[in-house]
Amino acid sequence: MNVSARSGEVLRSSLRTSMLRYRRSWGLWLLLLIAPVGARLMISDESGRGVVIAVQDQLPVLTSAMLGVWLGIVVTTLLLPVGYIYLRANTNRRQPWQVEEVTAAPRIAMLLGRFAADCVVLLGSLCTLTLAGWFLGWLMVTGPFSPWYIAYPLWLIAAPPLIMLAALRILFDALPWLRGALGDLAYFFLWMASIVMPLLGANQPSSFTANLFDHPGFVRPLAGPEPAGEMNVQIGGVDPASLKPGRIDLDVGAGLHAPGYIAARLAWIGIAVAIVLIGGLMYRPHRVGRRKAGHGWIAKLLSAGPPPAARLDAPAARLAGSPALGLVLAEFRLIGAGRLFLLLAVAVALMGLGGDYRHMGSPASLLLLIFGLCAHAGRSEARGLLKLVVTTSLSPMMRRAAFVLAGTGWALLLALPAAAARGSGEPLLLALATGGAASIAAMMLATLTGSSFAPRVVLLIAWYVYLSS
Amino acid sequence: MLTLNNITRSYGRKRVLDGVSATFPTGLTLLVGPSGAGKSTLLRLLATAEKPNAGDMAWDGAPLAAARKALRTSLGYAPQAVDLPEDLTAREFALHMAALKGLRQAEADAQFAAITDRIGLHADINNRIATFSGGMRRRLVFAQAMLGTPRLLALDEPTAELDGETAAQVSALIVERAREAVVVMTTHLADALAPHAVHVLRVDQGQVRPA
Repeated sequence: MNVSARSGEVLRSSLRTSMLRYRRSWGLWLLLLIAPVGARLMISDESGRGVVIAVQDQLPVLTSAMLGVWLGIVVTTLLLPVGYIYLRANTNRRQPWQVEEVTAAPRIAMLLGRFAADCVVLLGSLCTLTLAGWFLGWLMVTGPFSPWYIAYPLWLIAAPPLIMLAALRILFDALPWLRGALGDLAYFFLWMASIVMPLLGANQPSSFTANLFDHPGFVRPLAGPEPAGEMNVQIGGVDPASLKPGRIDLDVGAGLHAPGYIAARLAWIGIAVAIVLIGGLMYRPHRVGRRKAGHGWIAKLLSAGPPPAARLDAPAARLAGSPALGLVLAEFRLIGAGRLFLLLAVAVALMGLGGDYRHMGSPASLLLLIFGLCAHAGRSEARGLLKLVVTTSLSPMMRRAAFVLAGTGWALLLALPAAAARGSGEPLLLALATGGAASIAAMMLATLTGSSFAPRVVLLIAWYVYLSS
Repeated sequence: MLTLNNITRSYGRKRVLDGVSATFPTGLTLLVGPSGAGKSTLLRLLATAEKPNAGDMAWDGAPLAAARKALRTSLGYAPQAVDLPEDLTAREFALHMAALKGLRQAEADAQFAAITDRIGLHADINNRIATFSGGMRRRLVFAQAMLGTPRLLALDEPTAELDGETAAQVSALIVERAREAVVVMTTHLADALAPHAVHVLRVDQGQVRPA
């Protein structure tokens, strides 16, 4: 078999097996259902129910084209993290890399196959959203109802970021340091940057370069081909009372056909494919469980140290007086496992001593806690471990409750120095609310997905909202 | 022939293999030794799943840097633990592995049926891996390693978790393949296969010596 035929066969096989696995998972059907069911909540009316898009403090006139633009913008700004969570937490996240990575199969072909499968799934959900858009359009649009003018802007705006999302997931899976928590953090920053980036090109006349900054693709459809200037665009989180009466009539078509807009959207698809190719070239194998400990005083500080001395005459362990309390303490230790966590915990607790606690100490401890909570929640909800846990006298639900208590306990402990220094209970109240909510959310999402990806991304977004509010 | 020259592999401060030199000719080589002695690490190095910290490896006389692709094209590898795709059937998984190995699908399909028939797994190859027991998974990983005509077979405890009869069936296939290929296998039960082996090597305290 020559190289290109072999690459083709590897690509087809990777695509086929990924699609088979997607098709057999309930997550795919949930994703395909979420889009049409949630579509109604993506479009707001004057009551403010749903996601508001306001231009110059007014809702736009809901023509067929505007409806497509609206749905597209909601997908590329607010819903991309949902797609990311799905891609990172779905059935295809576990691959038999132990045997795949020792084959001579071209990595690029393998990754292109998986990328294609991810694209099919994400674009499949865009198909169901299009159907929902047609139904909503039939009910809601002002002026003539045109399925084409709903689908065209929706796909032009939303498809490139979804394809880019699939490419990012492939890139993250190719590099060891992005396969775990760091990848989620990197995605969080990339997502934030993608929403802010359009502002860089908004004040320039429409051109390929200016539109390339607009990854979510909302500037030209809302602002038109001219420089956006002082145009005030708000997406989501708008108080309906602040909206002016009446609706603003936007020439969406002029924006979609502004110079360089379509070319820039297509370029993002090209960039996505290039990222997958780079991922294939940079692919690094998975590491076997044992990690390199490193050298020097940092490694010494972070190492667990020698094991405790073994006593041959150690008696058999007796039943604990309070098993539930023991469980909470065990969860507490596991959330804060490792000396790195403990060192950072000391640092964030000290951070809370000075400055504005609500905007410094509290977000810092919450951020640390998010990583500890999600890592432990993901580990303990692993399917294999659950089979063992159900056989113990304390049920998995008891363990989950203990997890929430322990997580809240960590939050309170981190806030204690700040409360003592200020002589006020406010830091403790904040810690109780944020730590409790984060623990519950981490536990629920990890239980649902069996991994730490979903809780980490959701909590990072919630953390940003908390930090900036 | 696979040759190791002064190979060292460490994890942090723990030196698992310390200046190991050995030659693996065509035929069966058994690796024995206590748990945690470095048998699986040595096997991963042979299978190019890991790189040594120091030392050289050669395949058919060519240094591994130049012969890595040739070795991987000739390799069948069955590690102890694999993240098997639970939602695929055994046959779908095997055909995927065959594609990655560059094998013709129809022929690989027929060969997989033949191998699984000999190790008592054939009736289950259209069932999802999620329904498989530990022993069935072990046999599936072994069967995918045997696909094609591997000239190097690296097998990590392929008969663990198997009953006596099935272990004998798997062993028979290994002995058969060892007539033409370099077969390196870790095992805690060397007695049954030792008469068929060209070498029995003991891995202990970072060293590899004839047992």
